[in-house]
Amino acid sequence: MEAPSLIEEIRFGYGPRRGYEVSPGGLEPDRLLAQLTADDPAAAVWNRPSMADRMTELVQMRDDKMAGMDVKPKARQSSASMDLKKIEQGDAATFFARPAVATLGFVERLVNLWANRITVSNTSQGVGHHIQTFRDEAIRLNIAGRYADMLKATLWHPAMQVYLTQTDSIGPNSRVGLRKGKGLNENLAREFLELHSMGKGYTQTDVTELAKLLAGMVHDQNGPHVEKGRAEPGEKHILGQTYGEGKGQINALVEDVAHRPETAAAVAFFLARHFIADSPPPDLVQGLTATYLAEDTALVPLYRTLLQHPSAADPNRRKIRSPQEFAVASLRLMGLDGMEKGMLGFNKTSMMVPVYLANMGQQPFKPLRPDGWPEVASGWMTPPMVASRIDWATDLARATGDRVDPVALIDFALGDMASPLLRRAVAGAEQRWEGLAVLIASPDFSRR
Amino acid sequence: MPQDMLLSRRAFLIGCSVAASPLLTPVTFAAAPGDNRLVVIILRGAMDGLDVVRPTGDRAYAALRPTLAAATGPALNDFFTLNPAAAGLMPLWDAKELAFAHAVATPYRGGRSHFIGQDALENGTGGENGDQTPSHDGWLNRALFLLPGARADTAVSVGQQRLLVLDGAHDTDHWFPVAESPLSAQGQDLMSAVNAADPLFADPFAQAQHLARAMDGEQAPKGKLAYGQLGGYVAERLTGAARIASFSFGGWDTHHQQAKTMVAQLTSLSEALLAMKAGLGRVWGTTLVVAMTEFGRTARENGSAGTDHGTGGVALLAGGALKGGRILGKWPGLADGQLLSERDLMPTGDVRAYPAWALRAMFGVTADGLQSTVFPSLDLGTDPGLLL
Repeated sequence: MEAPSLIEEIRFGYGPRRGYEVSPGGLEPDRLLAQLTADDPAAAVWNRPSMADRMTELVQMRDDKMAGMDVKPKARQSSASMDLKKIEQGDAATFFARPAVATLGFVERLVNLWANRITVSNTSQGVGHHIQTFRDEAIRLNIAGRYADMLKATLWHPAMQVYLTQTDSIGPNSRVGLRKGKGLNENLAREFLELHSMGKGYTQTDVTELAKLLAGMVHDQNGPHVEKGRAEPGEKHILGQTYGEGKGQINALVEDVAHRPETAAAVAFFLARHFIADSPPPDLVQGLTATYLAEDTALVPLYRTLLQHPSAADPNRRKIRSPQEFAVASLRLMGLDGMEKGMLGFNKTSMMVPVYLANMGQQPFKPLRPDGWPEVASGWMTPPMVASRIDWATDLARATGDRVDPVALIDFALGDMASPLLRRAVAGAEQRWEGLAVLIASPDFSRR
Repeated sequence: MPQDMLLSRRAFLIGCSVAASPLLTPVTFAAAPGDNRLVVIILRGAMDGLDVVRPTGDRAYAALRPTLAAATGPALNDFFTLNPAAAGLMPLWDAKELAFAHAVATPYRGGRSHFIGQDALENGTGGENGDQTPSHDGWLNRALFLLPGARADTAVSVGQQRLLVLDGAHDTDHWFPVAESPLSAQGQDLMSAVNAADPLFADPFAQAQHLARAMDGEQAPKGKLAYGQLGGYVAERLTGAARIASFSFGGWDTHHQQAKTMVAQLTSLSEALLAMKAGLGRVWGTTLVVAMTEFGRTARENGSAGTDHGTGGVALLAGGALKGGRILGKWPGLADGQLLSERDLMPTGDVRAYPAWALRAMFGVTADGLQSTVFPSLDLGTDPGLLL
């Protein structure tokens, strides 16, 4: 079976971008895997402030607050607080503008995929400062490494610690726990086992014991460590293993859990479901599970197994682009990055891409649940969300489509995967921009 | 019957413009199913029943909740008090239009995962491990097949997200205000044609078009949706063709600083209920609201002035049709030895019994239909006599 011409771009990237060279056709696993070691020309542009820099600002902001600043009116606001606000506004653009201009589309897809598998969300105070570095430092740096290391990096990251309220957990028999009468918060312990790793095969006792092991973990300007005064003393018995105290023991636990067959099966299923089908082929999931266990949780062999499976080249596209993938693909089609100002029909100063994404159901950095954005079509297909996709397609087409040849754009966007019905419909539009709107709002364009 | 209806509807859509869709030109199948209205609210995140309806008469309570129970609320009876943040609901309680079922849970016990728990609650499964029924649909959707004369517009889910409880083979409506597209009529027809040909897109697209047209002239809400507004939308639909409405309400996962979060949550929930009552007017007298959550929370406060995932919890009932002013269920006690696994409120009742009795009392669904189709393996128990 011949692979469709644009399958690498569409199934494993964000679609072809106007002005960029398009991959010469078919599916070649080595060509996609080479992206993982290629130089990314966008890296310098998107070099967002590091965690260390942000922590310095956060310490400054805390000090300012103690000194009575950071209160209304605005003139008295701490400059550190203003700096952070500006930084975070810039962060949000990386969710759509970076993939919109990316030459390494597979890399960008993997970053978003793993950042969704291990989710943090800007829903509670303090998470927002850290989401970008969670994506840059805990996820992006590990997409070609071992899943065990990604689990460690994400578990220790301040965004995760704050999001899943680990910062509140205190060993009940620790010095601080005894003095203040405070105790455990199981949130992170449970979601680590339920969502980030195993998904099943653990008990409530394992959760409670893991919460004891994690109590006192902290990541501040001194790096990741365990605060002795908040750590629960004594042995913890988790999944049949015994652990003591401290950072080394937490990391040993993560290694053990990462190598569990339940974790292997859960990661395999997630990866196969993301790229191939809402109900992925069982033999693919089994193959991925075996590779994961045989390769010490390394991810590149996992990608290779996926790309070599016949379903990877299947011309039948069973998945729906998420709102982010959909909006980015349409920006790439028109050669935009979503940061343009003064576009016809849009707000004068901004295209307001995050607002469109929110209406389609995917507000940047703010998934509604700790298991992340929906990974199946039904999560994106409520009538209000579909109506918002139509709105985006219509508004973008009206702003950019008055001089395009929409019929030629079908070939550029979809190659040999466009249906005859779509060709007829686009050709039948009474204006160029309406033809473009029909193309972008079509199921053909949303499938991958 | 339902299968045929679906097939003919799909066949009808292909090659047709949306304007002729049965959603827009209601096809009469039978008479509308009576005057009663049922609203089902899914409270996502595990609402802490012990904090909403506080068993202050239980001698173990104060010690379990040293900081959470500090501010006291109005008394419901000589044993329970209401969280002070929900005091806005006291007029409903005094008018006997509000009731609670305490120490209830779904059959899913012990796993304490939000997502399995919510899916179990919405699917209506009887499985202890949360495994869904083979159809993977919502119990309220299955119930529609047992309602005489139910049509596509009989049940509506309100809000942006997909709602499993109403998802399934029976056609339902989905309502949320959206901006209208400015395409020409011909452009819209072309867009409809390509979407109607794709099995995944056909129905949601047709309904999206329907939404945009129905909203003509109305303004889509900007920014965060106030729950009062949501209550108003629900009322609007229920004064029209809809007899069943459902929406979800998140934010109950209070692992830390629970007291503060509860103020916002309970204020919003109260606003939604009161807006619904105001919007329904006389129809409130034939309306019953059932609000349920996936599970309760730990009996003890945790180390961060919050609570962790538990088991037994509270369901809320409201409406002019309700025989309210009561706390339903059997109280298990909070003393040592009375808790589940020494940590959670022991469930003494299946939460599914309340929507089941509501469907029976309001729409005449038979006990057999409830126990075989809607809520597999449910023990209905004694009739709580929900209606006046």
